[in-house]
Amino acid sequence: MTACYRYDGTLEGFLCALALCLESGGGEAEFLRPGAESGAGLFAGVPRDVVTERETALRFRERFVTAVSRDAFATLRYAFHSEAAGVEELLWRYVLAGLKQGKRLERMLAQEPVCTVNRLARAVSHEAHRFTGFVRFREVAWPVGDSWGEGDGEKGTTFLYARIEPAVDILAFIAPFFTERLNDRDWMIHDLRRSQAAVFNRETWRLVREVELTSPPGYTADEEVCSRLWRSYFQRMAIPERHNPRLQQQLVPLRFRAHLVEFGGEES
Amino acid sequence: MNNRTFEQRLEILADSAKYDVSCSSSGSNRRGAPGGVGSTAVAGICHTWTADGRCISLLKILLTNACIYDCAYCVNRRSNDIPRAAFTPAEVVRLTMDFYRRNYIEGLFLSTGVTRSADHTMEQLIAVVRKLRDEERFNGYVHLKIVPGADPLLVAEAGRYADRVSVNIELPTRQSLALLAPDKPRESVIAPMRQVSGLIASAREERKKSRTAPQFAPAGQSTQLIVGATPESDREIVTLAEGLYRRLDMRRVYYSAFVPGSSDRRLPALPTPPLLREHRLYQADWLLRFYGFAAHELLDEERPNLDMRFDPKSDWAVRHLGLFPVEVNSVEYEVLLRVPGIGVRSAQRIVAARRHARLGEAELKRLGVVLKRARYFLTAGGRYLGGIRLDGATLVARLLAPERRPARLDQLELFPETPDASALTGEL
Ligand code: SF4
Repeated sequence: MTACYRYDGTLEGFLCALALCLESGGGEAEFLRPGAESGAGLFAGVPRDVVTERETALRFRERFVTAVSRDAFATLRYAFHSEAAGVEELLWRYVLAGLKQGKRLERMLAQEPVCTVNRLARAVSHEAHRFTGFVRFREVAWPVGDSWGEGDGEKGTTFLYARIEPAVDILAFIAPFFTERLNDRDWMIHDLRRSQAAVFNRETWRLVREVELTSPPGYTADEEVCSRLWRSYFQRMAIPERHNPRLQQQLVPLRFRAHLVEFGGEES
Repeated sequence: MNNRTFEQRLEILADSAKYDVSCSSSGSNRRGAPGGVGSTAVAGICHTWTADGRCISLLKILLTNACIYDCAYCVNRRSNDIPRAAFTPAEVVRLTMDFYRRNYIEGLFLSTGVTRSADHTMEQLIAVVRKLRDEERFNGYVHLKIVPGADPLLVAEAGRYADRVSVNIELPTRQSLALLAPDKPRESVIAPMRQVSGLIASAREERKKSRTAPQFAPAGQSTQLIVGATPESDREIVTLAEGLYRRLDMRRVYYSAFVPGSSDRRLPALPTPPLLREHRLYQADWLLRFYGFAAHELLDEERPNLDMRFDPKSDWAVRHLGLFPVEVNSVEYEVLLRVPGIGVRSAQRIVAARRHARLGEAELKRLGVVLKRARYFLTAGGRYLGGIRLDGATLVARLLAPERRPARLDQLELFPETPDASALTGEL
């Protein structure tokens, strides 16, 4: 019978679930996120609850990296964040294949499950790469009585706030990038689709779940000026004789535009 | 000329800067530093695309669009009646930092018209980037234009601050240059290129010895050629590009379809910019840089111009049908690269995957290899993938049929952009 594991939906939790699977013999397994129902319906066993422990997750990662490679683990991590239906079961097969095949796993590009895992991983890394360009920060005044960033925002100061709605879960991939790049300001990248945010306090970033804005962000006067300058610069850069909106739409599909300042997104 | 508002000046200076094609932010890999702002990504990052489908990666702007020279192809030429404006170095620095912090851009691409003298102008450009690096501790990308004729000491200084420097050749031959840019003798363009190429090479040598040796334009140098303003053939252009890549270690040559309408009587009256030609030149350029082709394989005296109907690789393959089909499971990588429709990434995946499994059509598809054109040139496990054997004429018809390419294309379309294999996507 298929063993069933309920985990907290995070990568860490999933790695713990994988570790548990291995411990119990490595047979068929099904993984449930919070709130999800087993696909086995009536025949479903009682799901085991997986406890998320950082130590266990790290140990599992070490084991996989030693057996296969760092790159293969990175692939697994990217693919996991695709949130594709059935991705956990797919990755479980990937892990089993990896522990059996060792370093050869990465070259099995034309075979399953490697082929699909790679495809999902590429899609996530592509989306993350796009958002390193598409994130638009806007300068916002700290709202009165706010508590984000654990009190780092004194009243009267400002922080940078960006909204995104990526197709897959990419915050964990882009936050380190912006941490390195913009380390002299507080910032927050808010994934509206998943109600979560990466919050940076000039030292480290952390993921905050269930983030909801209670009032619209109050942009500073500088912000209004700067975004206006950017819009007019953007308009001017196009060469009329080369006008090609179809190509533009291919490169900046409509789904990105709601939060791109230059496309009139987020006009308050 | 400076009693306009900041926004008006920004518009004028953007208008004057937009004809420079280069916007790449690639080739430099610098991590963020504590106390500084910014980093660079080796693959470069596009932040948005304008209504003509061109990428914006850098804040491309002129310090001033006033110019003492009169190059026929340039909007900023002295004799052109347009509004003029200028920024101070402090204004450019502020704008760059404000745009960068909001993640609009990867950095700055600063160019300018020539005021007073080449040296004076070059000093102004350097003042901006020095301020950015020293005062703002800016670690993002900077592309700096070298003013033709500037003192070698200034050129050397520019490269210490910038990630990339460029001098635009603009016209492929000495004669055209003399005709259209009378103030810029070819030597004044080539000399700084040579100097930069030497400085890059020696800085690289020094870095090998010591990690702390100063860098010089780590992202190399690039240049730009205008296509269609003068009578040169594609062969002359591609051969020149090849020379620039091989001898001056140029990182990129950009091709810019001549935009008519600048009413200088030294120029031809074209109905529209030759965008398809520009596109084909980019394709040929890719073949030189990433596919192991030489210019003389693509074009020769008999065929001095690229075929506008299909891409230069297909064109080459159709003229060398005797070499095909090749067996996908065993053919060398270098030959695989010459198969129409197979890009660098596909070729790499094929080579990696075939060490582990025999590849048939299904496996190729699973690898993401697009067979639309490639199938006519491949066998897999001995089986020809093109169906019925085709002779040259039928093959040409087949290759042409599916390619209903719109005439307006950009070099970026050549390969779908993905984050991995960055060096191969042409962002470099
Ligand atoms: S020197 Fe430069 S800015 Fe001046 S006219 Fe010639 S190309 Fe234009």
